[in-house]
Amino acid sequence: MSAAEQDIPNVQKIAAVLWPSFLTAGVATILFFTAFDPQLIMAVSGYGEISRMAGYSIGFFIFWLLTSSSCALTCYFRKPCDDIGKKS
Amino acid sequence: MGTPSDQIENSSSDFYAKHKKVYPREVHGLFASLRFSGVLTLLGLYYFIPWMRWDGHQAVLFDLPARKFYIFSLTFWPQDFIYLAALLIIAAFALFFFTALAGRLWCGYACPQTVWTEVFLWMERWVEGDRNKQIKLDKSPWAKNKLILKSTKHTLWLLFSAWTGFTFVGYFTPILELGASLLQFTLGPWETFWIIFYGFATYGNAGWMREQVCIYMCPYARFQSAMFDKNTLIISYDDDRGEPRGSRKKSADPKELGLGDCVDCTLCVQVCPTGIDIRDGLQYQCIGCAACVDVCNEVMGKMKYAKGLVRYTTENAIHGIPSRILRPRMFVYMSLLIFLSAALVYSMLIRLPLELDIIRDRNALYRETNEGLIENIYTLRIINMDEQAHRYTLTAGGIEGVKLILAKKDLYAKSGEVITIPARIQIDPAYLKKIGYDIEFILTATDNSELQVIEKGRFIGPLK
Repeated sequence: MSAAEQDIPNVQKIAAVLWPSFLTAGVATILFFTAFDPQLIMAVSGYGEISRMAGYSIGFFIFWLLTSSSCALTCYFRKPCDDIGKKS
Repeated sequence: MGTPSDQIENSSSDFYAKHKKVYPREVHGLFASLRFSGVLTLLGLYYFIPWMRWDGHQAVLFDLPARKFYIFSLTFWPQDFIYLAALLIIAAFALFFFTALAGRLWCGYACPQTVWTEVFLWMERWVEGDRNKQIKLDKSPWAKNKLILKSTKHTLWLLFSAWTGFTFVGYFTPILELGASLLQFTLGPWETFWIIFYGFATYGNAGWMREQVCIYMCPYARFQSAMFDKNTLIISYDDDRGEPRGSRKKSADPKELGLGDCVDCTLCVQVCPTGIDIRDGLQYQCIGCAACVDVCNEVMGKMKYAKGLVRYTTENAIHGIPSRILRPRMFVYMSLLIFLSAALVYSMLIRLPLELDIIRDRNALYRETNEGLIENIYTLRIINMDEQAHRYTLTAGGIEGVKLILAKKDLYAKSGEVITIPARIQIDPAYLKKIGYDIEFILTATDNSELQVIEKGRFIGPLK
């Protein structure tokens, strides 16, 4: 990471992970639940009953977890790895 | 009066970032009034719309539990997703158009972040007083007075946020029922959660984060330059006229002192909600709120100088190059916008509030009846998306000798009802020349022959 990049405020680092993932999770939730009814999914897969509100909400948080993990991993792998294991 | 950088005070809290708290000074003028009316209109609509009634239901209700969207007399189903997609594309083109025309109009006047922050600033001013009092209060030690003022402010903010969250959920759950269950403490867990979530987001974004949302979180701020060109109206400081800046007496002649028109009062910095100095040129933090234009005009008026030292202008105009607002780019955006909007309105007008789904029985390809006919089994779903109830007739066609047998004779669906009917199609094998045929199911409302849908279904016969 360049010096300039390391200097970015913490709020920017946190926002860079949580915010884009929030937006894409929202889009994914809309697309997914437009096509699939959560009650039908639960009925077909035999997980028991659930209200649709709960289905949408849980679905959204699963998507957010996935998208934010992916954002966080991207940030993590952007770190240069030249120094790993080297004696300083 | 200090240097501009002194005008932004150090924040006592580093909770979100090492950043200096911005205390935007109150401003009056043309653009402030425009924003004021924008805030009133947009927030007025936001808080009022869920309470409107239409034909016995909430006028605008995105009924997620029932998977139906009500917008006045229209009812949308998941099948109508295309309209939402079209609406979003139109919104994107509108954003391109207005950005190319006059920069960040959206940010300065209509963005929820701006609009709610503005209201939070009002509340802050009512409680804590003007900018100088706020700075003084934040520097003062935690005494009784400070504690009272701060807790009053946060209580106001939290109440307003809670109401905002309640209203937000009221778009998705009927707001009257929501209000009733709130008063009886019988709110569902997810309703409660989303009210708190949205309320907290409002409190955090408009109360604490403010300009940081625009600077760090907004994608639009980063790609806005792609939509700008040298003929875009932006807020600019007129360097040639203003420099060299410097304070002077009102009676003094700036020419004698060798000064430009900028009196270096730093008011433009004090009013800026993102804490920048417009005199340093166009910066990505500038949300185009024009507060600096208003305040500078006021100062120029007091000094009896011409207004517009900071003004809406184009890059070309400021460099003395002829500038055109109506350029090809504007016409392209405009015509796309008109075309897409017209297409959307047209398709909504001709939209049939009726749908027929045909689901073929997957267990058997076909069976032979006792009379020697070939039979296929289907499940038909009729969705009445109209506001009235209808009775329908269903016929089949597509090939010769097709016979349709329905498990239910009376096809009646109330408004918004989905009815499911098992159906059988029988064909004499003499008519079958190949394995598969497309047959047509024709569904017509008995009271209105224009209300008709034709759906294709697959008919499978024996291998010859």
